[in-house]
Amino acid sequence: MAATLVPIGCRAKWGSGSMIAKLLIIGLLFGSFITTEIMPAQAITAEEMLDDPVLESRARELSKGLRCLVCQNQSIDDSDADLARDLRLEVRAQLLTGASDAAVIENLRSKYGDYLLLNPPISPGTYILWIAPFAIILLGAGLIYSIRRTAPSNAPAPVTKTPSGTTDVSPARTSIGTKLTFASLVLAASLGLYLMLGRADLGDQPLAKRQVEIAAAKQAEQIQSDNVNSALAIARQTVIDQPERLVNWLQLALAAAEAGDSQTEIGALRQALKITNGDNAVKSMLAEALSRAADGQITIPARALIKEVLSDDATEPRALYLDGLAAYQDEDYSRAIAVWQHLQAISAPNAPWVLLLDENIADAANAGGLPVPEPKEFAADLPTSNLAASDVEAASGMSAEERNAMINSMVSGLAERLADEPDDIDGWQRLARAYEVLGREGDAVAALIGAANAAPQDPDQQLAALEKMISSGQENAFGDAARQMIKRIENRAPNRLELFYLRGHFAKLAGNKALAEAEWQALIDQLPTGSPFTAQLLEAIAAL
Amino acid sequence: MNGEDTKDKSVRGNLRLSFILPLVGFLVLAGFAAVALYSTILGTRNPAQLPSVLIGKAAPETPIPLLNDTAKSLDLAAFQGTPILVNFFASWCAPCRAEAPALALIAEYVPVIGITYKDKPTDARVFLTQYGDPFSAISVDRDGKLGFAWGVYGVPESYVLAGDGTVLWRHAGPIDRRVLEAELWPLLSSLSVAVPSGAADQ
Repeated sequence: MAATLVPIGCRAKWGSGSMIAKLLIIGLLFGSFITTEIMPAQAITAEEMLDDPVLESRARELSKGLRCLVCQNQSIDDSDADLARDLRLEVRAQLLTGASDAAVIENLRSKYGDYLLLNPPISPGTYILWIAPFAIILLGAGLIYSIRRTAPSNAPAPVTKTPSGTTDVSPARTSIGTKLTFASLVLAASLGLYLMLGRADLGDQPLAKRQVEIAAAKQAEQIQSDNVNSALAIARQTVIDQPERLVNWLQLALAAAEAGDSQTEIGALRQALKITNGDNAVKSMLAEALSRAADGQITIPARALIKEVLSDDATEPRALYLDGLAAYQDEDYSRAIAVWQHLQAISAPNAPWVLLLDENIADAANAGGLPVPEPKEFAADLPTSNLAASDVEAASGMSAEERNAMINSMVSGLAERLADEPDDIDGWQRLARAYEVLGREGDAVAALIGAANAAPQDPDQQLAALEKMISSGQENAFGDAARQMIKRIENRAPNRLELFYLRGHFAKLAGNKALAEAEWQALIDQLPTGSPFTAQLLEAIAAL
Repeated sequence: MNGEDTKDKSVRGNLRLSFILPLVGFLVLAGFAAVALYSTILGTRNPAQLPSVLIGKAAPETPIPLLNDTAKSLDLAAFQGTPILVNFFASWCAPCRAEAPALALIAEYVPVIGITYKDKPTDARVFLTQYGDPFSAISVDRDGKLGFAWGVYGVPESYVLAGDGTVLWRHAGPIDRRVLEAELWPLLSSLSVAVPSGAADQ
């Protein structure tokens, strides 16, 4: 989720982008709104291809030979400039009317002149351009020829002085021959290089790569927007079918938030507010939606809602968070810090937003030039806690059936995601809490085992799963996983006292009373005298 | 001995030639580059200024609506008889803002026709209230089709039309002091437009 990686960061107060991101993240953290990750917008927009592949390929070929007058070193096929896009559209529009390639070129050339053509026509203005290469080659060849003609007559001068005769002539000849070969090789290599890389009608290399990228990005964008839109359409339909059900409105709000349709989101939440007769949680969601629609600015109507909620229930976490944000935006940093610290104080120590609040508080302190308060300390063993306050908060004000339906839909989404990303420990823990709420103890244990598998090096994760397994009486269903997790703890932390209890417990289940007694007795020996567990263990031994 | 001497000389002459010719070639190329660079620095040569094919031809038709009366279209023939300056601009274009004072000055001497290029009419109106309205007529080229017909490749872009509607001059980019003094005032002066005193003498 990486929620804590998104800093409150920016110094811009109103309507800043990161504020929106933060509000969205808050939506994630508070657990009720957005269950999938927000995808970044794609930079590449869909382009303007023709349906007819023959016409399209003609358009592509023509575009490659036309200069973008803005970028000047690119063809309109390569350029992202607005004008290049216009010209591409113009080329295609003219092709659709049945114009020939030459007619299209002529039409554009009559507007923009010869400079538009990357392959320039031979005209008085381009004589130098066309003639110079041939002139230079001729000049070079002439030079070589004149040197070669004089070279042999040069050689005999020393030859006449040597008695060995004509054999000494050859080195001079050879050296001229080598030079000639070398020169023509250079010429040939230059020509080859030009034909391969330098021709005007070649597309440039980055373009070829970009074509693949563009296609992939387009496809990804399409799939994503299809998903989001179909979810929104389904949510709309359920609202039409059963307008009296609160959960439908909340899901419509969720789908609309994902699709970035804040008007629908706000409308759906207003409806939900009516159904629940002004429920505080829904009111807070509405305040958040209003703020998100205003680019993160906590607007006057949103402030009114927050005030209403807090005067009725001063512990509503979302309203408290937004209240702190409003104070932050007013540059009343000390109040922002006070509100957020209050929220921290009343939150469960492992509530997912606690870390983010630390960051926000530090940021507010920096912005206001105030001393940075000490970050809140956490208990290390997160997973043994009960249901997160967020889930309760989000589900309050609904009937039991509606609450279950809402959580069910969230849970199936999360479970699907975790099947793809089994390394998300936080995700597994949230899934386990959700299953607990739904009373699906077996699934909760399985989710905690998922967390334990995601962190095989962490004895605490193993212990959390084992504790849940034992407290819900699911040992028989997960015997193999239990043995594996105990082995992992033994490997990493062989001195953990819990090990003795666990080994004893599973020995008891396996009917091995002697081993159970031995393990538990060993545990009693290691416990400090007067420990409350001693009596319990003695009882358990007696029950064997 | 004598014959060998002349051979030696001719060889030396050829060697010298094979050294001098490339050097001359290099110097010629370097000379071209130096002239181009120098004139670019002076501002008399601008590689971004492309020649317009319209020069010496009649200006294309302007079948686009007026900003303030969309029922009517822009009619350049109404200005027949006097030179005019046609200026493509947009509210989203920063150099157009920089150019606004120059246009206001030019409008004191010749009619200036504004064409908003790919701009929303409401945005264009805001631009006019913020940066002034020196235009004798303003029309809206909402999708850039007119700009295409004129060969516009960026805003701002200005054209001077003679009294008979012939295009005489095209300038891409904002009109600044150098363009005014070195190009526009002399041109308008040659069309017997009274231009700011002092400028015409140059």
